[in-house]
Amino acid sequence: MRHTRFFAAVSMLAFVTGCAGLQSDHVRFDRHSDCPKQTADEISAKQSLLGPLSDTHTLECALTVLRDSQDIALLRTSLGSRLCLHLAERETNPEKREKLAAEGVELAETALTHKGDEEGAVHYYLAANLGLAVREHITVAMKNLGRLESEMKQALALTPDIDDGGPMRLLGALYLKAPAWPNGIGDLDKALELLEKAVKEHPGHPLNHLFYAQALWGEGDEAVLTQVKAEFALGEKLLAEGNWGHNKAAWKKEFDEFRQELGDAAPAYP
Amino acid sequence: MRKTCLIIASLLASITANAAPNPEMIVVCYPGGLVNVKDANEAMSSMLRVVERVGQWQQNSFISLFTAKSDECRQRMAEKHPKFAITSLGLYLELRSQHNLVPVVQPKIKGLTKERYRVMVQKGKYKSLDELKGKSLGGTVLEEQSYIGKIVFAGKYDPASFFVLKKSNQAIRALRALDKGELDAVILSEQQFGGLGSLHLEKPLEAVFTSEEIPLMGVVANSTITTAEERARFSKALEGMCADTEGKKLCELFGVEAFAAVDPAVFEPMIKLWDKGS
Repeated sequence: MRHTRFFAAVSMLAFVTGCAGLQSDHVRFDRHSDCPKQTADEISAKQSLLGPLSDTHTLECALTVLRDSQDIALLRTSLGSRLCLHLAERETNPEKREKLAAEGVELAETALTHKGDEEGAVHYYLAANLGLAVREHITVAMKNLGRLESEMKQALALTPDIDDGGPMRLLGALYLKAPAWPNGIGDLDKALELLEKAVKEHPGHPLNHLFYAQALWGEGDEAVLTQVKAEFALGEKLLAEGNWGHNKAAWKKEFDEFRQELGDAAPAYP
Repeated sequence: MRKTCLIIASLLASITANAAPNPEMIVVCYPGGLVNVKDANEAMSSMLRVVERVGQWQQNSFISLFTAKSDECRQRMAEKHPKFAITSLGLYLELRSQHNLVPVVQPKIKGLTKERYRVMVQKGKYKSLDELKGKSLGGTVLEEQSYIGKIVFAGKYDPASFFVLKKSNQAIRALRALDKGELDAVILSEQQFGGLGSLHLEKPLEAVFTSEEIPLMGVVANSTITTAEERARFSKALEGMCADTEGKKLCELFGVEAFAAVDPAVFEPMIKLWDKGS
């Protein structure tokens, strides 16, 4: 019998900012003095260029500007939270990663209080950052499954296509990996529905296929094994051939872990 | 019952790479659960550290071998001859003679060390279990059909011949099917029954069968390869678990109030029922 990863939920579980459990101090960046002089307006103007392909120093400099900014127009956007997520995802030091993610939660909460017009994106990055912030703290994570589900649902309702179907992907993964009813909100049927939609509407993102493969695997039904292998293989191929920047290494690790779980059932390497 | 299994399993097992020399192996069986082995072991690892500290064992004194498959559990027990194990009540009853198993501790959940099983139907559709003859029955607990027949139904019904069984590893899917009329009935554990209120089903449900009280299963030991002292130490460590500052959080997380040393007599009626049905 195959089983879904109910305690991998720690990687997806959230805790409301301001409550116990999140790191409250910020990461100090080493090369702060090397940052080019730039204003909040300049950062805002080029925000679409800041992402997983950006080098770390560039993102750190942009975040530094935001930290010091009182510009409400900028603070009400999802940019700060998104920068924190990009930095957190590539950070290998767990404590720094949690601090960056916690800061991402803070910035998202600030944006929500200012009621910006990017509310869907803000909820999405809040949820994503929360997941990272609490992934190693199981009791904190478990207590706030409800909040994480709520944030992801809001993101799904407001901006379902952000980040290649990110809200569908994250919410589907949450339902897949959280403890199943009655212990938690885990729900394989909801996970399958969301992740199937994610791969259909956003077939170019490797993690959509990986998570869908994992959900199918959770069915424990030999009849879907072919589909599991196909989705996994497609996701691996997309990862290998695409330009995913600093996300590639972390995502490859997720694929490798699932490959181990599939064992003999795993398809050949792409 | 199954949540209990995992809770206790997670208290006792570790699969870390830094195990002490010759760590004690604990076989952990969680039949019917929708649980991933890797993640279950990771969860158990964090909880085990608390137990080792409370019981004053060297860190990483224990290592677990986890399975959610009954067949695999039987195999592991036969191969590894563990001193301690965590099994379902059904597997304990089945394997107790072969491996000289004695209960060590039981969990206490919502003030009780016992549970009841219920067969649920759409309200008004069936009046008794007898009316369900030949009808479809779903539920996760059907992973252990012998246990359901001999213990839950006290030998009065053989699930395999009385019902059309639709076993599932997802209770929520079975209940949705019941709600839609795709299943005639679903059998629930105490914990699942208690969680019904959180589901937003369209049709009201009612129980057409409620079992007698059945003791919750916890940790068992092989009485021929453990001493009374070892068993007492294990028991004490678990009894102290939920009172420990860190352990308390974990116990609260899983809804376990405490672990209690078990009076073996509690299981005697179950043993009698099991042997009668064999």
